Amino acid sequence: MNSIALKMLFGDRGKYLGIITGITLASILMIQQPGMLVSIFTMTYSFITDVSLPNIWVMDAKVQQIDDSKPLLDTQLYRVRGVRGVEWAVPLYKGSQKVRLSNGETVMSNLLGLDDATLIGGPAVMIEGKLSDLRIPDSVIVDEAGANGRLAKPAAAPGERATPLKVGDVLELNEKRALVVGIARAQKTFQSQPIIYTTYTRAKVYANSERKMLTYILVKAKDNEPRETIARRITQNTRLAAWTAEEFKKKSLDYMIYNTSIIINFGFVVLVGFVIGAAVTGQIFYNFTLDNLRYFAVFKAMGATDQTLRKMILLQAVLVGFVGYGIGAGATASFAAIMGNSNGPSINLSWQLLLASGCAILLIVLMSALFCIRKVLKLEAAVVFKG
Amino acid sequence: MEQQREVATRPSMTTGGPKDAAVLCRGVIKSYGSGETQVKALRGVDLEVHPGELLMLVGPSGCGKTTLISVVAGILDQDDGECLLFGQNLSRLPQHERVRYRGEHIGFVFQAFNLIPSLTAAENAAIPLLINGIPMEEAVTRAALLLASVGLEGREHALPSQLSGGQQQRVAVARALVHSPRLVVCDEPTSALDQVTGIRVMEGLKKLAVNDDRALVIVTHDARIFSFADRIAHMNDGAIERIENKR
Repeated sequence: MNSIALKMLFGDRGKYLGIITGITLASILMIQQPGMLVSIFTMTYSFITDVSLPNIWVMDAKVQQIDDSKPLLDTQLYRVRGVRGVEWAVPLYKGSQKVRLSNGETVMSNLLGLDDATLIGGPAVMIEGKLSDLRIPDSVIVDEAGANGRLAKPAAAPGERATPLKVGDVLELNEKRALVVGIARAQKTFQSQPIIYTTYTRAKVYANSERKMLTYILVKAKDNEPRETIARRITQNTRLAAWTAEEFKKKSLDYMIYNTSIIINFGFVVLVGFVIGAAVTGQIFYNFTLDNLRYFAVFKAMGATDQTLRKMILLQAVLVGFVGYGIGAGATASFAAIMGNSNGPSINLSWQLLLASGCAILLIVLMSALFCIRKVLKLEAAVVFKG
Repeated sequence: MEQQREVATRPSMTTGGPKDAAVLCRGVIKSYGSGETQVKALRGVDLEVHPGELLMLVGPSGCGKTTLISVVAGILDQDDGECLLFGQNLSRLPQHERVRYRGEHIGFVFQAFNLIPSLTAAENAAIPLLINGIPMEEAVTRAALLLASVGLEGREHALPSQLSGGQQQRVAVARALVHSPRLVVCDEPTSALDQVTGIRVMEGLKKLAVNDDRALVIVTHDARIFSFADRIAHMNDGAIERIENKR
């Protein structure tokens, strides 16, 4: 009877497409929104993830998250280096700087000044050039998204496309020359601004209006003690905040969660997706069953058991759920692929998210099916004799 | 009621003894609702139908014909009395066994055909076989053979919407017979058809459905088909008033 159930479902094309559309929309909302939320959350600490070598971040005690810049005096670096358990400590400048393009437009970018000697904090993946090229005078490395996007050379004429920035091109930062010596791959940040890497010393030149320049001190803890212990010791000795990389990620994420309504907003949309999906799907599926009630009564009269009828309805429900979810997930994945190439937030489609949204869709179709099964099982087979 | 019982059990009104009966109902009572709104649909019906017999149930609307065939077919439970189908008291069987018995031994033809619009004629006719666990391919093949015997050769793949009313009812007849049931119950099988088509459907039904091991009970208003009956049970107000022997 399974094939009969499927033919009944496919036969009512309007309702079948209606149910599929409802589930597809619900799937899109329930995958896309949390996927984007996770992506935004990841972006809040992506810079900490990118800078993988140091395991403790030292900063002003008032800093609340990675983009909250409260620079220190350079002398703080030496105090941190003197703390027991610190293997090494290097400076990091992190600030914003306007980049002037050839057409006169300015683009706000993240400027990162890496330790001149070690270049620690630099990008892990170089697409063009080498990290060590930062030792060339006036040199900078630009992230791939920035080079292809906002920092791309403006089109020469209207209608033409901008030319991606490449090694050898020259930018202007704070009226100073910056020679592009490399293109690097970096995770998108929450601000979605281009990232420009240079040395700490050169960053001070580009951002010379600021008195204090030392944004972060990147510390490598010795292995013989837990890094949390060393971080607490740094705080104790210097009165600066010191967090392990994981703690700093969590702090940045918590700031985003507790100081914005992002969770509520995204959560609301996900809830709406679930409710609309359940309502639309449930309603159409229920109507579909009502339309076919007469035939279910015929099956009952002809000897179909309750179990057979239950299986038929469940099969119909699970199938529409599977197809709708597949289309929804596919559409979201395509959307994610498109967004992944843009400067905006991408969509993080983890297996956990796909599993959770799949379970939510399954719940929707099973709830719909249960209502329908109840209706069919309560149906009196004798109705078949009513003309 | 007493009179009706007397008439129904007179030897001349039956074609065999009660032991051999396909359907044997005694004192069947069935009511709907309760209290003041209670409606007595059957008021102690006695009925015998024998294998190889075509019995028609006739009477005015609301006289209990449909309720009686529902009880006979094991779809409804009577409130009182007994109804045996080939010696089997369906109301005493557990629900799942009763359903299975119905699936194996009873065929149905409905007034409104009740063909599934998205299934082909052969698939519609194959439904009882599918319910009984026969694989789709075999079921459709067997159904197609039966469709040919009701004059629908070459129309196996047609959807109900592509068939005339008479053709649809012939598909329904094939569906009622495809699993070789021992009892076929028909509810107004010709009321939606014109005279010529109705006669044609009845000819096919009588030719294919009635045999030594199968009985046919037809509920009808349609006087045009009375001539096909072996006996006609006239019902009124929940009881069989008289049984007319047409042989």
